[in-house]
Amino acid sequence: MTDFIKRLLGTPQGAIGMVLVLLVLLVVLFGPMLAPHDPEALSPLTRYKGPSLAYWLGTDQYGRDIFSRLLIGARATVVMAVLATIAGTLIGALIGTASAFLGGRADELIMRTIDAVMSIPSLLFALLVVNLLGSSTINALIAVAIAFAPGMARITRSVALSVRKQDYVNAAIARGESSGYIIFREMLPNVIAPIIVEMTIRVSFAVMLFATLSFLGLGAQPPAAEWGLMVSEARRYMHLSAGILIWPSTAIAIVAVGFNLLGDGLRDALNPRT
Amino acid sequence: MTTTPDTPVLAIENYSLDYHTPSGVFHALKNIDLAIHRGEILGLVGESGSGKTSLAWSIMRFLPKNAREPGGRILLSDENLLQKTDAEIEAFRGRRISMVFQDPSTSLNPTLSLGTQLAEVLVRHRGLTRQQAWKEGEAMLAHVGLKTPAAMMNRMPHEASGGEKQRVVIASAFACNPECIIFDEPTTALDVITARQILDLFVELQAETGVASLYISHDLALVSRTASRVAVIRRGDIVEQGAVRSIFANPQQDYTRELIAAVPDPSHRLVGDALAPTDQPLVRVENVSVHYGRKPFLAALTGRKTERVAGNNAVSLSVHPGEILGIVGESGSGKSTLAKAMTGLNRFEGQIWFDGREIRSLGDMDNAYRKDVQIIFQHPDASLNPRQKIGEILSRPLKLFGNASDLDQKVGDMLEQVRLPRTHAQRYPHQLSGGEKQRVAIARAFASKPKLVICDEITSALDVSVQASIVQLLLELQKASGTAYLFITHDLNLIRQIAHRIAVMYRGNLVEIAPAADIDSPDRAEYTRRLIEAVPRAAGQYL
Repeated sequence: MTDFIKRLLGTPQGAIGMVLVLLVLLVVLFGPMLAPHDPEALSPLTRYKGPSLAYWLGTDQYGRDIFSRLLIGARATVVMAVLATIAGTLIGALIGTASAFLGGRADELIMRTIDAVMSIPSLLFALLVVNLLGSSTINALIAVAIAFAPGMARITRSVALSVRKQDYVNAAIARGESSGYIIFREMLPNVIAPIIVEMTIRVSFAVMLFATLSFLGLGAQPPAAEWGLMVSEARRYMHLSAGILIWPSTAIAIVAVGFNLLGDGLRDALNPRT
Repeated sequence: MTTTPDTPVLAIENYSLDYHTPSGVFHALKNIDLAIHRGEILGLVGESGSGKTSLAWSIMRFLPKNAREPGGRILLSDENLLQKTDAEIEAFRGRRISMVFQDPSTSLNPTLSLGTQLAEVLVRHRGLTRQQAWKEGEAMLAHVGLKTPAAMMNRMPHEASGGEKQRVVIASAFACNPECIIFDEPTTALDVITARQILDLFVELQAETGVASLYISHDLALVSRTASRVAVIRRGDIVEQGAVRSIFANPQQDYTRELIAAVPDPSHRLVGDALAPTDQPLVRVENVSVHYGRKPFLAALTGRKTERVAGNNAVSLSVHPGEILGIVGESGSGKSTLAKAMTGLNRFEGQIWFDGREIRSLGDMDNAYRKDVQIIFQHPDASLNPRQKIGEILSRPLKLFGNASDLDQKVGDMLEQVRLPRTHAQRYPHQLSGGEKQRVAIARAFASKPKLVICDEITSALDVSVQASIVQLLLELQKASGTAYLFITHDLNLIRQIAHRIAVMYRGNLVEIAPAADIDSPDRAEYTRRLIEAVPRAAGQYL
């Protein structure tokens, strides 16, 4: 394990990604405690202010402290993105492994269905789901999870196919194990490494997808401090103060870049040969 | 050439090689001293991990980045290779020293025709034009015994058989009349009969050109047939070297003695011939055929005929209780296909009678059948789930087939039964050696107290000395439990030691079944006789 962490931190992308993700994690955990102001306290006198000692990143169109709103909003944005990715990954991994295990016609049927779903762009698909279910944070989470599942299923299947040929799976079939046992205990643990890598990279997509949904008004609803929503609301006032738009966008970018780099680092660390 | 007859072509003096790994320095080779003269074949014998291939690569000057060379010299006709620049090395790799690899299917580029690859060597090292090189290449392919050299030049690697590919590799190794050629297990990946032909070709070419050869192999019997001198290597140390005859007749070191003793010798039977007569065989396989591939959906709709690949053609055989039936044949002869059909991994047509019960399809294989018929696979690395502890792996068959009480106790007993310490239950497969892993696989197969155990090439991935101990363990278990074995192997010498009867398979067909004692009688089928002839006899000729 220490060897693995050493390898991960040995690559520049792994080290930078790790630092950024840790930073985001700290904000998620302790953000509300650190916030210097009430994120929803309106102060009409201090609107559109630039950065100052009292307001580190300035104030928005209602005079709310942007820095505090970012700290508070980290939970809504990042936690949601991670949860949605995990849910999507679990669904996808299960479908992919099961499909690889079943093989033959069943595999064909599942994968062609997945292909059909994948042909719809994930943002459009998420929009469709949210439109059907109604716009709320939970529904946005479900939408992102469902949009991610097909891609994960396909990646998992390609790894699981090579695991399927291993003799320990044959041995399990020959001893008459149930399909459930073979999928969960014999195959899934052996496809987990590439899935974790893919999942880490996908978190950044999820952050952006969530932000997009909120931006379009289909995710979190005002006055929530969700980052995408902040960008969306700031759009109309950007000519008055660019900071309102720039800071939440930067926060989204940092999370996306951080998880992306961490994913790259994990991929190198988990496959020492490449 | 400046060499006089008494200076060796290749001399390795006091050479050491280390690998720097994250867990410390690994000494791959320690103070190696070897010399090969012109016209000589030096056999280098050792088990896997002994440093044979590391030595080959250090002679070729192609070492990984983490390799360090603390000392010694490698002299090719009195020139120290260690002091050459990369450009100089490049100029004489292939021209003055070349190498033949184990697996011809990976040592040839699959996207270039055989002719292109052979001509490239000639263009590069002998300065021929492409046309000249192509002509020369054809002549060489004819020289290495390929029947249609002109056509062969235009073929892609996947269009040639393993033996043909290895001939092309050998032709390109001999292409520039090098002074020294390194053969790294050139016949290991080939079938017995092909291997024999390649070996004959090698001996012939070697005698003709007088090239100094380093022949690396794990197979003592093979080396004893080709080499004039043998060096035995163990964990990076040359344990013993000398003339073949003296090494075999009078080994000085314990390790050499062990190695020689571990080579299977068909005249030394390990089981009694007598088998208590039984009225009914334990398992009777009747006309079992296996086909691979499934009918394409469209073909099924339109009623178009599709050719399926046959794995087995109507194979019939039987195994009696307590009997060891050997199945031999080349790769692709359908041995494993049959094993998989009998364990429910392949769909089959035909019937299997087991213990008086008829089994017509996979659906008939219930828990009771699966409990009685167990399979052990070739590669212990692949047959044990790397993410499960040994304890978990061994407890599964207990939970499935027996009562699951007292699991820890029973798992410990199973480990002891296969001569492993009880504490191994807490380990993961990668913490065990190859032989230990195969013991775990054996313990797993015996957990359900089966009546028939199918051993699918279970010793071929292991070293000779480990193989001997695994075979001994199997025989002890058989004596204790009376289990019947279906022992699949390509090693004729081994199977003649342990089987009661031997079944010979060829391209999915069963050629014949004969008692082990009569397998070398002249009345056997033609294919069986060829197989027996092709197998290098054990070191017995020197004893």
